[in-house]
Amino acid sequence: MNSTLCLAVTAAALIATSAHAEPGAWSDEPVRIVVTFPPGGTSDLVARLLAQYLESEFGQRAVVDNRPGAGGTVAADYVAQQPADGTTLILGNNAPFTIAPTQFDTLPYDPVESFTHIANLGASTPGLFVQPSLGITDLDGFIAAANGDGITYGSSGVGSITHILGNAVDSALGITTIHVPYQGSAPAIQDFRAGVLDAFYDSMAQNAAMIEDDEVVALAIASPERSVRFPDIPTFREQGYDVVIENWTGLSGPAGMDADMVATIHETVEYIMALPPVIEQMDTWGISHTEMSTEDFNAFVANTIEVWRPLIIAANVNGG
Amino acid sequence: MEILSNFGDGLLVAMQPQNLLYCFVGVFLGTFIGVLPGIGSMAAISMILPLTFYLEPTTALVMIAGVYYGAEYGGSIASILMNIPGTPSSSITCIDGYPMAREGRAGIALFASAIASFGGGMIGMVVMAVLAPALAALALNFGPTEYFAVILLGLVAASAVSNGSPLKGVAMVVAGLMLGTVGVDLTTGTERFTLGIPELRDGVSLVIVAMGLFGVGELIVSIKANRHGAQQTKLDYKKFYPSWAEWRAMVKPILRGGGIGSIVGALPGTGQTVASAIAYAVEKRLSPNKSNFGKGAIEGVAVPESANNSATQTAFVPTLTLGVPGSASMALVIGALMIHGITPGPRLLVEHADLFWGLVASFLLGNIMLLILNIPMIGLWVRLLQIPYRFMYPTIIVLICIGVYSVNNNVFDIWLTLLFGWAGYLMRLYRFEPAPLLLGFVLGPMMEEQLRRAMLLSRGDPTVFLTRPISAALIAVTVLLLIYAFASALSARKRARAAMTVPS
Repeated sequence: MNSTLCLAVTAAALIATSAHAEPGAWSDEPVRIVVTFPPGGTSDLVARLLAQYLESEFGQRAVVDNRPGAGGTVAADYVAQQPADGTTLILGNNAPFTIAPTQFDTLPYDPVESFTHIANLGASTPGLFVQPSLGITDLDGFIAAANGDGITYGSSGVGSITHILGNAVDSALGITTIHVPYQGSAPAIQDFRAGVLDAFYDSMAQNAAMIEDDEVVALAIASPERSVRFPDIPTFREQGYDVVIENWTGLSGPAGMDADMVATIHETVEYIMALPPVIEQMDTWGISHTEMSTEDFNAFVANTIEVWRPLIIAANVNGG
Repeated sequence: MEILSNFGDGLLVAMQPQNLLYCFVGVFLGTFIGVLPGIGSMAAISMILPLTFYLEPTTALVMIAGVYYGAEYGGSIASILMNIPGTPSSSITCIDGYPMAREGRAGIALFASAIASFGGGMIGMVVMAVLAPALAALALNFGPTEYFAVILLGLVAASAVSNGSPLKGVAMVVAGLMLGTVGVDLTTGTERFTLGIPELRDGVSLVIVAMGLFGVGELIVSIKANRHGAQQTKLDYKKFYPSWAEWRAMVKPILRGGGIGSIVGALPGTGQTVASAIAYAVEKRLSPNKSNFGKGAIEGVAVPESANNSATQTAFVPTLTLGVPGSASMALVIGALMIHGITPGPRLLVEHADLFWGLVASFLLGNIMLLILNIPMIGLWVRLLQIPYRFMYPTIIVLICIGVYSVNNNVFDIWLTLLFGWAGYLMRLYRFEPAPLLLGFVLGPMMEEQLRRAMLLSRGDPTVFLTRPISAALIAVTVLLLIYAFASALSARKRARAAMTVPS
């Protein structure tokens, strides 16, 4: 490298660190985005979308590294132990950061202290779906059915967000339902269609086609306000029951990352999340983006653990 | 004809350049792995599984299927030339294939085996195209009760008609069931037998068990068995094409073998090995040439090859329409689809029609490719058998380790695979079949899950299994199968005792 170029690079680095953070590449090395699920799920697709735009918009090379297992704790533990140089990040979600701290008595990492939670990507909202043949149209009807013949509902598994939601709804509505856990929502929906389940909880966006074809009745959505995409479906809140549960996802790194680098990553992610094709793609996955500052996002992660703790304990999903 | 138009659409999917390419990769790899004694389609599918994450689901499925039936073609080559089955299901082919080779008719035996495999494959394909939509329509109303009954039937069928000692077979199924309980209990979230190791919370991965028992374990056995590589069998290329009489002798065995194979293959729990064994036994009874069986009868080569290849095609029927795998290889197929967000089940044929019909049509193209690979290019595979094992096997071990690591990017998985490898070696040493273990391991957790779900939904009423008609019918068949198995075991023992007491 000749001296002029060397000087230019140093100058550029100085500007990047001193001025207010601008979106851009933050590492000469390729960045690994660790995903807590196997390839193919929404989480994996979000990570790949992010990696694609990091490269095309800013020339920041990024690869997706799937490390599934043990409710996302394998991936989180791995990232917590990596150097805090911005080359290893995790696409975090409620599994290792919100549910696991309460679900497991011991965790190899601290969900707040072992990480730098950098940027919120967004959240998807689950809802409650029932069989049209039951003739239920609102939550009061749901309560009546639960107190009558009883209601069986399917979730994506013990300790999953839909199980915790089902349990929260039960206690808010003052009813008892029969929880039937599945491995993911697809087999639950298959049994629902075969007519053996009365109800199930799942992401709203994933069931848009079934809602449209009147194969399900969506009774309520667990967001604070009605969704733009499903304006006809009421929230739990407006029907008088305070149940709000959203499935968040965000970008985090190991603890102790350089503040300027964190600011750059934050700005870069916000820039990408505002691109029209990205917004459109996120819409189809049912993920709506809310901008949070890094401080807010850290507080959000810490706060969510406490907000959910009683719900998780109530659902009795202790994994030891 | 709806089936024909669906098949036509499927053909268009299968002929897309990418699908065609990976179909070829699959059948080539399948033949390669089938030719090598010791490792079969199971290990090959485990190895390529991580690669399929980055392919279109249809392409991935076409390639995996290609490996699966390609191995059946390749498996017969070592059986005929060396009397060593390249895959477990081609062990029946040894009975008449090797005597033919020793008579100097190796070329004809290889030709017959390829043609019979092709015939069986086509029969299996037609049966799949007809049977799968019918079964899917029936299964639309399947709930946990029905799934439990299907899986129970599969497990009982597997232990009732396994090869080798039935007692050891049952022991292996039970060992598999026990191994399957490791991990977080799906209904309560409690950890079972995880020994405090976080990697075990999700249970032992099927790829690890399969690669260990079938990949590493069999390799150790093979290294011990064949220190110096294969002995060369003289292959006379001039005597390659069967005579007119031999052609005619093959037609009926191919049809019968394909018919039996496609039915046995579609049952969950049985597989190609059982299919070829049953087809051979039936043919031996029906054939006008029965006295020559075991001494180099061309029918004895055609029948098991037709049966095992048709069974490989119809094995996809319960796998795709019910989501119940008939074998461990099929469980890997389900895993590969799930990764792409596709859940096999009765709606797969509607929601992913192009995937299903693309796969069916790829059987036609793949089998044609295999015919070309196995007849004009037979010399290549024969030479492959002569590569010294000291180069071949270490390479395969390395590939297995890379394959296992790349699924979860976790070194722990490699150690676990090697542990299962030694377990597999010990099992082979004491003549315990690993296949029933793997089936118990695959079906056990599914059966438990469905049982507990059925009980939750029935509010704890166990009579639900007998009051729902489909489940009641399946349980009746299971009971009949058990009675048959006990009766035949008893009569076999009586016969053995009678034979012993006959004065010499």
